[in-house]
Amino acid sequence: MPLLALLAKEPAHGYELKMLLEQIFGEAYPSPNIGQIYVTLQRLERNGLVRSQDVVQQTRPNKRVYELTDAGREALANWVDRPSDGPRIRDDFFMKLALSPLAGATDRLALINRQRRNYLNQIRSLSSLASVTEPGIGRLLIEGAMLHLQADLDWLERCQEELV
Amino acid sequence: MIRSVPRVSADQHGADQHGASHGQTLLLRASSITKTFRADGTAVSAVRGVDLMLGHGEFAAIMGPSGSGKSTLLHLLGGLERPTSGEIWLNGRRVDGLSQAKWAVLRRQHIGFVFQFFNLVSNMTVADNVELAALMGGATKRQARERRDELLADLGLSAKADAAPARLSGGEQQRVALARAMVNRPSLLLADEPTGNLDSSGSQSVLRLLTRAHADGQAILLVTHDARVASAAERVISLFDGMIADDAAMRPPRAKPSQRRPAPLPTVLRLRG
Amino acid sequence: MAVVAGVVLALLLSAALLQGATNPWQGLFSATKGAQIWLRLAPGTDVTALRSRVPAITAVAGPYHAAAATVAQDKARQPAELRASGQQPPVIGRPLMEAGHWLTRAQPRGVVLEASFAQALHATDGSLLKLDNLDGIAVARVRVIGVAATSDQGFYPDQTPGLIWVLPGVLRQVEPVSGDTYDVVGLQISDPAATPPVIQQVVTQLSSSAVEDVSTWQQVKQSMARRDPLLGLVLALFGLVALGAAMLAIINATSGRVLVQRADLGMLQTIGFTPGQVMTMLVAEHAVLGLAGLVAGLGGARLLAPLLLGEVPGVSAGAATLPLGWSVLIAGGIEGAVILATAVPGWRAGRVWPVAAVRPLPPQGHLSTLARAAMASRLPPAIVLGTRAAFVRRLPALLTIGGLAVPMIMITIGLGFWSTLDQVQRHPAEIGLVAGLTASPGGLTEPGSWRLVRRDPEVAAAYRSVQVTALLPSETTTVTTLGMGTSAHPYPFRVVQGRLYHAPEEAVATQGLLDVLGVHVGELVQMPFGGILVTFRIVGRIIDPQYDGQVLAYGRDTLADEGAAAPPVFYSLILRRGVSPAAAQAWLRRHSGGRLDVSQVVNPADQLGVVRVMIAGVILVLALIGLTNLITASLVGLRDHLRDVRVLHAMGLTPMQVLASLVARTSVLALVAVTIGVSLGLAACSGLINLAARLYGLGAGIGSPPGTLTLAIAVALAVVIAGLTAVVPARRYAGAPSGAVLGT
Repeated sequence: MPLLALLAKEPAHGYELKMLLEQIFGEAYPSPNIGQIYVTLQRLERNGLVRSQDVVQQTRPNKRVYELTDAGREALANWVDRPSDGPRIRDDFFMKLALSPLAGATDRLALINRQRRNYLNQIRSLSSLASVTEPGIGRLLIEGAMLHLQADLDWLERCQEELV
Repeated sequence: MIRSVPRVSADQHGADQHGASHGQTLLLRASSITKTFRADGTAVSAVRGVDLMLGHGEFAAIMGPSGSGKSTLLHLLGGLERPTSGEIWLNGRRVDGLSQAKWAVLRRQHIGFVFQFFNLVSNMTVADNVELAALMGGATKRQARERRDELLADLGLSAKADAAPARLSGGEQQRVALARAMVNRPSLLLADEPTGNLDSSGSQSVLRLLTRAHADGQAILLVTHDARVASAAERVISLFDGMIADDAAMRPPRAKPSQRRPAPLPTVLRLRG
Repeated sequence: MAVVAGVVLALLLSAALLQGATNPWQGLFSATKGAQIWLRLAPGTDVTALRSRVPAITAVAGPYHAAAATVAQDKARQPAELRASGQQPPVIGRPLMEAGHWLTRAQPRGVVLEASFAQALHATDGSLLKLDNLDGIAVARVRVIGVAATSDQGFYPDQTPGLIWVLPGVLRQVEPVSGDTYDVVGLQISDPAATPPVIQQVVTQLSSSAVEDVSTWQQVKQSMARRDPLLGLVLALFGLVALGAAMLAIINATSGRVLVQRADLGMLQTIGFTPGQVMTMLVAEHAVLGLAGLVAGLGGARLLAPLLLGEVPGVSAGAATLPLGWSVLIAGGIEGAVILATAVPGWRAGRVWPVAAVRPLPPQGHLSTLARAAMASRLPPAIVLGTRAAFVRRLPALLTIGGLAVPMIMITIGLGFWSTLDQVQRHPAEIGLVAGLTASPGGLTEPGSWRLVRRDPEVAAAYRSVQVTALLPSETTTVTTLGMGTSAHPYPFRVVQGRLYHAPEEAVATQGLLDVLGVHVGELVQMPFGGILVTFRIVGRIIDPQYDGQVLAYGRDTLADEGAAAPPVFYSLILRRGVSPAAAQAWLRRHSGGRLDVSQVVNPADQLGVVRVMIAGVILVLALIGLTNLITASLVGLRDHLRDVRVLHAMGLTPMQVLASLVARTSVLALVAVTIGVSLGLAACSGLINLAARLYGLGAGIGSPPGTLTLAIAVALAVVIAGLTAVVPARRYAGAPSGAVLGT
């Protein structure tokens, strides 16, 4: 998914994509080795989201340049617009946040707002769930989730401060 | 790297629509409110152009990082500060230019205000605090006494009615403070971090009180950083750097799940492993 | 600390004034660097060897040539000593100029009079005096160019002769024969207590024939002491009460400060100080502050005393040094009060568990039924809230009220004394000084002078009077009796009980006499007049300050009836309203060619001018003490108040109302205290004044309570000042709306 976003800006070949990833995320994001990147690119091509072209070079071996297909663009837009869910929420969302200017998709504030509304609604449902749950392990689980969500909301505020 | 946040107008219907202003049916309407503090020659803008609308009986929460101006905004809406510019309309009446005296009268009967602490007059008992507010609102002695007993019983604090405020726990104090603020059935209840000082059980009791009041038709506008409290509201307004960044209507809660058909567990709760 | 300094300053100044009033000698002596021994020696005695031969002598003043003379003034002749001095005043026993300037060759006929002598002569700067020599021959006319006070000799006329400093030229003119002059020498000794042995040694050294007279500092001091111990007693009493009230106020103020510091004390314990250490630190801190205040007050008093007290009439500039005994008493008292005030709360603070102290509990109270009713009845909520808040802390409220009421009582009494003095001075008839002048025929015939005095347009009425001394029945003391007017035309004494005499053998008497004789109005007394026993019925009680307050008065015809010998007649002249006695006196002198002996009736109130100043000073001290209590109450009240400002604001009180409730808090206490104080003061006032008058021999009835207007002003002032003490510290907080101030 991040690769799609990177390609949205302009076509690139595998090595350039690796350089870009390292540049944007620095030390925080484990830099995938070039092999992983090529594997992911081939998978994306199989799914029809990217297409590749060989560019002939005089002095060097040919390199393969990848670019987004229309399907790929659509998938990217869907990904950005959809609120992130699941255990790896943060990473997913953060990815969107970091890469959205490249994707040219939507402004970051709207992203943050969307995510915040999502969290709030989740807390709300958890609240009403907690009100009908007997005190005990179940209730504790719910409260734990709510505390995590609170922490996420605080982190959203930090993101807003820094990136908007 | 902060770009200027695009101004978002908050109205009754949530999202980013600029709805037509329904002046008559709105309880509270604030347009282009700004507040700038001047100290030692430097000017600090706490609130920079906020538009806010609240309907009768509506429950809204204001969230935002510290320094975003949310407390100031609330104070402006309660007449405890005067806006540098902008208009505030309460029940169709323009109030931003009112004198201190007229604001005070408003606060006795139409607006209830609750702070984070120092919410009760310290040299009177708990019950006296509530009764004093009633008397100031124009009730007769008998009416004040009745209303006070009613509220305290509702709160389950009748036993502690004669105690000094300092002897109550934080949660109890805040509940009494809410009682004080609501004793005259104000059109609008403003609360500034009502659970800010409280532990989870205190917060919960305050939250229960607020939701019950809302169910009874009380309009509430509160400032909080506690997501749980905010999520209990119908609307959450996000304030950032003195301007509104988002105004979201909360999804109405699903029909209360009965015991026989438990609701699907939200994804976040699914255990892995 | 400022409070302590102010109170100490006021107390010290009052003490200096008090001392100046009762006995100015000490102050004068220090200010003039006086000599303890003064010798009158034969002219030309050699005193140069004295210092070396008598080791106790530290300095010698003089020798100054002097001669006796007489100041001739109208008919009076006053003995004087002319003492020659140069253009520089003497170093030892330096006279303190009160008016004019010292001798100068530019004015060869200029002389400087000693202050009490000048007063006796009615001479001021610029007066002309005629000097006669001992033979009665007029020898010089001099002009007074200065008046000075000295501690060399006692006040005239207690100690004679009166002292005049002159240039040597004048002395030679008056007494050219040096054998008739004498030398005056002053000796300063190291140990004033050892005066007699020193005198012994001096006389031995100089040979007894050379020493004509010796006077010691003890004699001078004795003669300078005021005659009326009552005045001294009253003033001392006032002073002690003021000191006591001051101590109470300091205690109040210090406890207030300690109360405010309690949170910090708890914090100290949390850190690890033991209760004992906490208490020691607290006491030390406040004791040091108290000392600092004391020193400031002392310094201020030393600076201000000469400035302020030098201007006070009736108290010579010599009183402008601070009395040692009082200073020690004041310093000790105040410092003791400070230590006491900190020790008790400090001990208690040390005993309190740290937690309770760190979060000090606000006072607990109720919204009383009264307050509820007041709120419901739409009284201004600010007043109601402020008033009830004032009484929430019971004990401090009572202390504040007491601390204000007591000074107020005394201020009221003081004002009563003041207004009485005022009355007495403006209406001397009130205390029985009905006549403005007395005259006796002098060089004129009796009928002639009688006609003259009645001709004076400024005389409203004249009464022929006689004064007869009678021996009391117990035959141990004599009493003055007056035959004033006749039974048909009695002298209009000031009658406070009963009536005047209308028939022979009826008499009126003063309280003093009634007490001495042990009789009451309506009873009979017998008075021997030169062998004849006359029985009088006392028909009334009068007030008359003369004759030591013991006088019996009746119509002259009673004596004539009884056949008693007719003593010489004098005239009591009652002047027209608004006429100055001096003017009438002048008229009579002119028209009698100076042969009529006319003198003004002395109003004792005139000499009590210093009492007024004392009263003013005491009132100031008391006001300061009251202010201290008010400030304390305000600060404690403010602290409690700030906690509740935001809530009150949110409940619907405007900032002005919130401020008003704070002001009401202190003002209500002040109002209650002042009302109590004034009422009690008024009640005590007349009683005290009557007591004082009785001791003076005037008897009851001259008391004049302070005017309603004065009291109203005093009360209003107190309440306003109370309001101010509340407002001024609160202004910092009241202006800003609550949101911005106490932290959002």
